[in-house]
Amino acid sequence: MRFLLNLLLMLVVALAIGFGVSWYALTDGRLFGAVQIGPWLAWTRAGSPAPDPYTRAYLARNGVLQLGLGEGMQFIATTDSDGQPLSRACRYRIDGNTPTATFWTLVPTAPDGAMIARADGPPGFQSARIARANDGSAQLYVSKSLAPLNWLEITGDGPFQLLLTLYDTTVFSSAGTGDNSLPSIIREAC
Amino acid sequence: MVRTLLYLVGGVLLGLLIHIMVILTLPGLAGHNVAAKLASLGQLNKPLLFDAVSPGKPNPLRLDPELTYAMCRLDLRAGPGEVSGTLPLAFWSVAVYDPSGTVLYSTTNRDGIGQTLDLGVFDPGQTRLLAEQKIDIATGLLIVESKGDDVFVVVRLAPPQPAMRDRYADQLSKLVCRNLKT
Repeated sequence: MRFLLNLLLMLVVALAIGFGVSWYALTDGRLFGAVQIGPWLAWTRAGSPAPDPYTRAYLARNGVLQLGLGEGMQFIATTDSDGQPLSRACRYRIDGNTPTATFWTLVPTAPDGAMIARADGPPGFQSARIARANDGSAQLYVSKSLAPLNWLEITGDGPFQLLLTLYDTTVFSSAGTGDNSLPSIIREAC
Repeated sequence: MVRTLLYLVGGVLLGLLIHIMVILTLPGLAGHNVAAKLASLGQLNKPLLFDAVSPGKPNPLRLDPELTYAMCRLDLRAGPGEVSGTLPLAFWSVAVYDPSGTVLYSTTNRDGIGQTLDLGVFDPGQTRLLAEQKIDIATGLLIVESKGDDVFVVVRLAPPQPAMRDRYADQLSKLVCRNLKT
């Protein structure tokens, strides 16, 4: 009887660790191949010709058409800068500069990737089509309610994520300036 | 007590083994990877324009709604693949994928290519023939080597303004995807 209990305990521990760590590795990924800058997460080897096993598993699990390393880099934020999950009930200010890139886009989506911007409006922000301050920085607002400056109206309820895609960028490359800072996501009102 | 502890340690070690197996086998077992999603789309040697991403609609490939996309599926068993065309004077990029979704090669028009895309994809045997100068190729052809014979090439084009999207998509649809004669 004791042998069976010990065996059961071993199996439970093995399955919990085996599948739990795998799920964590491919969801959060920070310890296994993803890089986090503030609230933004990127799998930096995803566009590489020789991705590591974790990145390869991440690509297989998500099935997304990944950007090549030579094309750019995509960052995903599911929380604001304070670590709170992004909610469509709140208004968010995205504030700051981006690393050097030919251009970038910022698109809010549902967790399954569906677009949530207003149907008859722009799908997201494009760096060449936003109002900027004299120092080049920009304040972007994402919310269901009216906001000043660069405002993107979103629809629906529930959680969402922000996809920041830098095209032709030097981020994480040796050719870069070393400034890999990304904008903050600040929750203003709910 | 000691025996229970040993079983716990055994469970941890077995768990790590399961974890490694999951990570290594997932790419082969995943049913909804990029290849599965693209397999039913388009024909060989014919450019396929992806539909624009619409609000509220699924976006399984996570395409950027600001961009226009075209894809060519190539089978290198019939000869080296070539994707060529003239693209508008705006940002565009090209990436070559293998069936697992791994990017074999990618570049942008900022790398001195200009408006003309002329990309050749060769398998290892064809690359050897190329090195032996047994395959004639045009000067300036961008050469990419693929380990496998099934590849797909995706061209991303960024219209500066949404109103230009249709015109840019029309340019993308004129891409030529074919096998080179050997």
